[in-house]
Amino acid sequence: MLLPAFEYNRPTGLAEAFEVLDHYAEKARVLAGGTDLLVNMKRKTVVPQQLVGLERVAELLGVRTENGRIEMGARETAARLAGAADIVRDLGVLAMASAKLGSPQVRNLATVGGNLCTARPAGDLPLPLLVLDARVVLAGSAGEREVALDSFFLGPGQTVVQPKEILTKVVIDRVEPGTGGGFVKLGLRRTMEIALVNAAALLTLDVDGKTIKKARVALGAVAPTPIRAPEAENVLLGKVASDELFAHAGKAAKQDARPITDHRGSATFRLDIVSVLTRRALHQAWENARKQ
Amino acid sequence: MKKHAIQLNVNGTDYDLLVAPNRTLTQTLREDLGLTGTKHGCGVGDCGSCTVLINGAPVNSCLVLAIQADGSKITTIEGLAEGNLLHPLQTSFIEKGAIQCGFCTPGMIMSSKALLDHNDCPTSQEIREALSGNLCRCTGYQKIVEAVSDAAENISRGGRKES
Amino acid sequence: MKRDFDVVGSRAARVDAPDKATGRAKFLEDLSFPGRLYGALLQSPHAHARILNIDTSRAKRLPGVKAVITAEDVGLVKYGVSPARYDETLFASDKVRYVGDEVAAVAATSLETALEAIELIRVEYEPLPAVFDALEAMAEGAPQLHEDYPNNICAEVHQEFGDVEAAFKECDYIRADTFRNKRQDGAFIEPHASVADYDLSGRLTLHSATQMPHYVQRTVAMVTGLPISRVRVVKPYVGGGFGPKCEATPLDLSASCLAIRTGRPVRMSYTRQQVFLHSRARHQFIHEMKTGVKKDGSLMALEHRCFMEGGAYSSFGIATVYYAGSLLGAPYRLPNMKYDGYRTYTNRPACGAQRGHGGVAARAAFEQQLDFIAEELGRDPVDLRLQNIMEVGDVTCNELSMSSLGMRECIEAVRDGSDWRNKKGRLPRGRGIGIASGFYVSGAGYPIYRSDTYHSTVRIKLQEDGGGVTVYTGSAEIGQGSDTTMAMIAAEVLGIPLADVRVESGDTDYSVDLGAYSSRQTLMTGHATREAAEDVKRQIVEVLAEELGLDVEAVRFRRGKVKFQGTDVDIAPLRIRYIKEHRGWSQQPEGDELTFLEAARMAYLKKGTIVGTGKYKPPTLGGKFKGATVGTSPAYGCSAQVVEVSVDTETGQVFIESITDAHDCGKAINLTSVEGQMEGSISMGLGEALFEEVKFDDQGRILNASLGEYHIPTILDVPDMKCIVVESNEPNGPFGAKEVGEGAIMPTIPAILNAVRDAVGVAIHELPLTPERVLMAIKEKEESQ
Repeated sequence: MLLPAFEYNRPTGLAEAFEVLDHYAEKARVLAGGTDLLVNMKRKTVVPQQLVGLERVAELLGVRTENGRIEMGARETAARLAGAADIVRDLGVLAMASAKLGSPQVRNLATVGGNLCTARPAGDLPLPLLVLDARVVLAGSAGEREVALDSFFLGPGQTVVQPKEILTKVVIDRVEPGTGGGFVKLGLRRTMEIALVNAAALLTLDVDGKTIKKARVALGAVAPTPIRAPEAENVLLGKVASDELFAHAGKAAKQDARPITDHRGSATFRLDIVSVLTRRALHQAWENARKQ
Repeated sequence: MKKHAIQLNVNGTDYDLLVAPNRTLTQTLREDLGLTGTKHGCGVGDCGSCTVLINGAPVNSCLVLAIQADGSKITTIEGLAEGNLLHPLQTSFIEKGAIQCGFCTPGMIMSSKALLDHNDCPTSQEIREALSGNLCRCTGYQKIVEAVSDAAENISRGGRKES
Repeated sequence: MKRDFDVVGSRAARVDAPDKATGRAKFLEDLSFPGRLYGALLQSPHAHARILNIDTSRAKRLPGVKAVITAEDVGLVKYGVSPARYDETLFASDKVRYVGDEVAAVAATSLETALEAIELIRVEYEPLPAVFDALEAMAEGAPQLHEDYPNNICAEVHQEFGDVEAAFKECDYIRADTFRNKRQDGAFIEPHASVADYDLSGRLTLHSATQMPHYVQRTVAMVTGLPISRVRVVKPYVGGGFGPKCEATPLDLSASCLAIRTGRPVRMSYTRQQVFLHSRARHQFIHEMKTGVKKDGSLMALEHRCFMEGGAYSSFGIATVYYAGSLLGAPYRLPNMKYDGYRTYTNRPACGAQRGHGGVAARAAFEQQLDFIAEELGRDPVDLRLQNIMEVGDVTCNELSMSSLGMRECIEAVRDGSDWRNKKGRLPRGRGIGIASGFYVSGAGYPIYRSDTYHSTVRIKLQEDGGGVTVYTGSAEIGQGSDTTMAMIAAEVLGIPLADVRVESGDTDYSVDLGAYSSRQTLMTGHATREAAEDVKRQIVEVLAEELGLDVEAVRFRRGKVKFQGTDVDIAPLRIRYIKEHRGWSQQPEGDELTFLEAARMAYLKKGTIVGTGKYKPPTLGGKFKGATVGTSPAYGCSAQVVEVSVDTETGQVFIESITDAHDCGKAINLTSVEGQMEGSISMGLGEALFEEVKFDDQGRILNASLGEYHIPTILDVPDMKCIVVESNEPNGPFGAKEVGEGAIMPTIPAILNAVRDAVGVAIHELPLTPERVLMAIKEKEESQ
C-alpha cells in the first residue's frame, strides 16, 4: 500500500516544530509513532500536504516526577509505559492498558500523545488516563495550556487540539496511598484487537482499607468518545468495597454508556458487557488498592 | 516531493540514501537495498511480516518512514546468519518444522530474536506474548513456540551451527 | 507390510527451510525484472451496474502510461475454473456484478503512475438493483446476474441414494437442524501477485503466486489467444494458498495481456484489501439436515438441502456444491442419503475453494447433529460414532470406496489422548469437551476439465557425475512441504541421502501436474515421483548387472551404497575406473562397498544421460450418476478431534483449552510435515469457528477487508495441540501415503460446537461463535428456563 505524496519537516526541537506548524497550520499533521496516522494516510482518509516528524524532538521524551506530579512526554511509547518499573509501580492501570494496545511491534512505535490525539472511541490509553484524572499540555508558539482529559475528546477522531498546537505532555498527580487500578478489554481475539468494549477503574480506599474514598470509572467503545461513568462512580463513593457493590456499579454504568450497533457488535450486547467489564475492572482495582 | 538525505545502518553496514518522504522503511529495505527478506503482507501493521529491529526493538517497518529511521541501527533477517553460520533461531526453526510457506518466517524470527535478546529463558507464555504481533496462517504456531524454546536452550549452551 | 525406511517416515528438515529462514527464499514480489512496468486494475465501486461508457483517453495520455486495456482491447473470452461454467471475462463489458469487478487495467513506469492512471479512467455506470442473499437471489423478481442462469442458480444438484423417505419410516428418532457458516477469506499472509513477461519469440512467461501452474497456463492461453505451448507458468515460493490461489487471477490475465501489448515485463499485485475483494474463498453455506436413526443408534438416512451464497461468478462453485453433499457419504455407514444443493449467484465477490472445499460446513452441521442424536438416545458421542463408522473395503451409498480408513484408530486415539472418559460429563459448568470426526478426498478423482490427461508426470534426471538426482515436477510447493515429500520419496527409492536430491518444481516446463488442490500431491505426484525414481534405479541397475554379470534382482541401493545379494562382487575394477577419471579429487569413494556415486557414474558412461519418468492418473472411479465424479478419489483421509473449551458465561467468550487430533494419513512420508498440516488446519478451523467472517454493508462493500478486522487466530488464540498420526497404509498411495492437508480441518468446527454445548448447554447453529452470539444463546436459554 502506497503512501500519498507529502513534504516532510524534521524539526530538531519544539520551537522549530511550532514554527513549522504556524506556517502550515491545517495543511500539516504531526507524526509521532505513525501507527494510526500512516495507516489513515495509506487508506487515504487523511491526506496532509505536510508532515511534521517529531523523532528529533527530545523534549517530548521522558517521564519525570516533580512536586507530586508525574509528567510524561507525549512521545513515550506504549511499550515503555507497559514495562517501565516506575509506571508499573506508580501508575499500574496505565501500564496494564498499555500492555493491551495493539501488538508488541505496534507498542514499540505507538505513543501516548498519538493515541490520545487519534481519539478513537475504543482507544486503550485514554481510559487509564481518565481514571487517573490526567491532564494534557497543549503547546504552541503562543504558549501552552493544560486541559483536563475529560474535556479533551470531542468526538470520534476529534479533540480540542488546535492546528498549531502539539500535545507535549501528559500530567498526572501522584496517586494517594491505598489506590489501585484495573483495566479490562473485550475483543474477539486475545490480542491486536480494537475493543468491543473496554473499561478502566481506579479506587482509593480510606485508611480503614474498606471504604471507597475516591472512585473513577471510564468506558471505551460505548460512546463517540472515551467517557467517564459518573452513574457508576456515584454508586461507589463512600461505600464499603465489595463485589456486590461493584455489580451495582456495573449496572449503573449502563446508564452512562451510549453504544451504537455496528458490524462489530450490537448496542444491547455492548451494554451487557459494560456491566460485566465495569465490575471486573473495579474488582481488579480493589485488589490492587489493597496491596498498596 | 523533496527528497531527504538519510543514513541507515542495516545489518552492520552504513548506507547513505536519498529518500522521498513517503517511502516506508519496508520499501527502502526491499527495493532500494535489495533486502527482500522483510515481507509486505498488509502494509498497515496487522500481520507483522514486515517486522525488523530498530535499535533492537521489533517494529512494523511498514509503519515507519525511512526518514524516521535516519541514524538508527536496523537489523533484518539477512543480518542474523554470519555467512553460512545460521543463528540458533534459524537452525531451530528449520529443525523443528516451524516453517511452512515461509512468508511469516522472517518477521517471526526477528520478533523471536528481540525476545531472546532480553530474556534468555522464556516460558511458553512469554514466547507467545512476544510473537503475538506476528500472524501465521500455515503452522498453527505450535512448532514455532517449540523452535524458539529450543533456540533459547541452545543459545544458553552456546553456539551456532553451520548451515 | 512393515518395512524400515531410511528417509520416508522421518522428521527430515524441509529442503526449502534454510532459504526461508534466512530471507533468501524469493517470493513473487522479491523477484526483480529489469525494465518492468507496473500494472494496476480498475475495479467497480458498484455491486451491480450497467456500463454505459468507458473513457480511457485521459489515462492513456498520462506520461509514463504504456498501455490501458479494457474488454474492447482484450476481447470477451469466457473463462472460469470448470469448462461447465465459463462465466467470466477478464474485464466487464456490459455490466459489473460485484464491488471489485474488473473493468480495466493499466501498465505504467511506476506504481504511482499506474494508480494515478486508474483514477483518470472515466466509467459511466447505471447502478442496478443488487442481491446479496442466497435465498433472496433465488426468489422470483430478484435482480438477475447472468442471463444464462435464471433465478441466479449457478448450479443445482439433486441426488438420492437408497430411499430416504422409506428409511425415515423405519427410524425411531429423526433430528432436523439448520446450520450456517459465513464467508471466510483465505487470509494467507502473502497477497496474490504476478509478473508476465512476453519475449521476442512470442513466448509468454507468467510468474505467479499460484497453487496451480497447469490450470493457470491453460486459462492464460485461452484468454490471451496464445497456444498453450507458448505459455509457461512458473511459481516462485508461495506464501500460502489454501484454495483462493487455485485459479488464474485478474492479475495473471491482465499482466499477461499488458506484457504482450507493451513488450515489457508487467508486475501486478493485490493490496490486502484487494485480496478480500478477489475472494475465491469459502462460500457461505446454509445446511438443512434431517438425520434419522434407529433407537440402537444406527444411522439410517440423511435428507440434506444446501444453499450456497456464491458471489458473482462460478469459480470452483460447481464442484463445491457437489462436495457439500458427497462428502457426507462417509465415514459413517449411511445407507440412504438425499442431497439437494443450490449454488446461487449474488452481487458479491466470487467464492471458490478453500481448505476442505464444500465439506467443512456440511461436516460441522452433521457432526453437531450427531451429538444431538447421541444425547437424545442417551449415548456417549464417542461410542455412537464408533458404532457407525465404516470399515476398510466398505463403499458409501454414493459409491466412494474406502481402500483404507483408520477412523476407529483416530477416534480411539483422541478419546484416550484427551482423557475423554474422565472428563465427559464431569467438567464444571463453563467447561466442556466435544468430539467430531472428519473425512476428505486424497486428490480429486478427475481433473477439472474433462480429459484423459495424467494428473501428475515427473521426470528425474540422474546427474551425469553420479552425485545425485534432480526431480522435475510441475507440482506446487506452497508451504505444505510437497518438494520435500518428493525429494524424500526419490531418496528412499534410490537409496541415497536426502541431501543428494534436488527438486525443481512449480514450472509448467517441467511436467504436467494438476497442482496443489484437493489434497492430491502426496498421493498423485508422489506416485509419479516414485515411478520415475524406480525408472532411474532400473536403468542404473541394468547397467551394473550387465557389467558385473549379475541378475538385476541381486542389486539393491541403500544408504548411498550398492548391496549385492548373494554373490561376492569384486568392486575394485569399477573403483579404479572411477578414481582414474577423478584424478586430482581429494575425496575419493572409499570402503568395501560400491557407492551409488560410482554406480550412477558408470551408468552415465554406458548409457549417456539417464532420465526416469513417472506418471499417475487414478483409475476410473465412482458411479455413473450425475456428479458422481465429485467426491471420488483414489483414497480418503480421515480424522477425529477432541476439543476442550472454557466459556466465560458473562461475556460469551470461548477459549480453546486443549485440542487432541488424530489424523489417518496412510503413511507419514515426513512426520513433522504431517503434524504441521494438522496443526495448521486446526488453526484455520478454529478461526472459522470463533472469529472469521467477511462482512458486507448493504451496498455490497466489504466492511472488514483487513487483517485487523478480519480476525485470524493469533499465537495467543491457539492452544498447544496434541497431534497423533495414524497410519492405515493406503494401498493406492506411494508407501501407503494419502492426504492430510485439508481433511485435518474437518473435525475442528464441530468439535468446538459440541464442546461449547457441553460447557453451557447451548446449541449454536451459526458461525462464528462470537462472544455476542454465545452470550445471546446463553441468555435465551436462561430466560426460557
